[in-house]
Amino acid sequence: MFILLKVCLLKSLIELRKMANLYFLIFKRFIFFALIQGFIFNNFNFLGSFNPYIALVFLLTFPIKTSKITFMIISFCFGFSLDLFSNSIGINTAACLTLAFSRSYVLNFVFGSFYDPYGTKVLKNYISESTYYQQFLYLISLILIHHSVLFLLESFSLKFLSLVIYKTLITSFLSILFCATTIYIMIKNEK
Amino acid sequence: MQQVIDFIIRKKDVVIYIVLLLFSLTMIINSNYFHKSKTLIIFNNITNYTFEKFTFINEYFELKKLNSDLINENLFLKSEIEKTVEYQNIDSLKTTKFKYKNARIISNSLSSFKNQIIINKGSNEGLKKEMGVINANGVVGIIKRTSKNYSTIMSLLNTDIKINAKAKRTNHFGTLEWNGDDINFLSLNDIPETANIKVGDSIVTGGMSLIFPEGINIGIVSKVNSYNLEKTKLNQATKTNQNIKLKSRENYLNIEVKLHSDMGKINNVYIIESMFIEEFNRIKENG
Repeated sequence: MFILLKVCLLKSLIELRKMANLYFLIFKRFIFFALIQGFIFNNFNFLGSFNPYIALVFLLTFPIKTSKITFMIISFCFGFSLDLFSNSIGINTAACLTLAFSRSYVLNFVFGSFYDPYGTKVLKNYISESTYYQQFLYLISLILIHHSVLFLLESFSLKFLSLVIYKTLITSFLSILFCATTIYIMIKNEK
Repeated sequence: MQQVIDFIIRKKDVVIYIVLLLFSLTMIINSNYFHKSKTLIIFNNITNYTFEKFTFINEYFELKKLNSDLINENLFLKSEIEKTVEYQNIDSLKTTKFKYKNARIISNSLSSFKNQIIINKGSNEGLKKEMGVINANGVVGIIKRTSKNYSTIMSLLNTDIKINAKAKRTNHFGTLEWNGDDINFLSLNDIPETANIKVGDSIVTGGMSLIFPEGINIGIVSKVNSYNLEKTKLNQATKTNQNIKLKSRENYLNIEVKLHSDMGKINNVYIIESMFIEEFNRIKENG
């Protein structure tokens, strides 16, 4: 009886340790991507005024194990910290929140039956066991959602719709280039 | 009720998403000036439209009063024409300084510190910011903001307003302001104590700023407070000689002006467009 209790306690402790490790990883990435976006990539100014949103890597590679509500709250905070750097309170927040909300649908749509919402698979599995087409679709759909919300809220009217679409396309092209490279480097380093 | 709670629990992702999204949208609107003004314009248009519809109904009950007002005004204007007929040859059309347009009030407030009036004409009719607004009895206010079909007037009963005014008899200039307490009285400041102003003098616009033409009625003096007079009175009463903080400034009069027009009962107003205000402002800026 006593031994059983001990085993149970140990198991829960290990679980707790794993959870703490996970959240520490999230925290590290949070700080890193917020700073690198705020200080380097907000002043990138490709072709005049286009900045790649490399910070989206944080949301794209967010552990699938965590519940959706936690994910949404953390991405809300993340978007807010991005806003503090770019001096546009609330715009990035809404965009990141929308990305977080729509990620589970996109995962379901892109990976189909392969996707399991309970998170026994990590993101590495998704990438190693899927085609390039699927990976590309995952990235481009989430980035397009984020950018269209971002630029629509920034212009705040449908008058400049053509300009918004133009800006969204160019910026998402840049973002996908940088995000794919960063994710590639991250996976290489993990191995 | 049970079903509603079940629904919320089942769709808790969506509910939390919507709550957080609303939160971020309010942040956007509150902290970004551009977004704030844009939403304000949209909501203003909606409320103004409904206001106009309501006043359309209310007007039927006040038609009698409106008619008698208009007749009185016509009589007044006719007498004015009689006066000016003899000078007609001297004053040709080219030298008119001011143009008049009429408009109807659709909403009017008296209760706040910064009262506003909304009228049914806007930039489509050529109204612009900082034009003067009068009615038959006297000054009403200054246009503060215009949208396409409506404009907002800063009423005389607004603590931000400053109007250049003078006493008709002595020609002393001062600034007319509102203290924010009584809706029938304004205060006229910056007139030196040497001016011999008495209760019952009429106060008219000064014509220094080109927003209003010179000599439009505002009200009559109902009380004159003087700093030195009050001090001596107080010192005599207490038999001391102190510097006591008083309402009026030293060496200046504080004059209470009773308005001619009842600000709560205005229906029709006239907007004054000054022909030379751009030229005047250019000269003022260049010094």
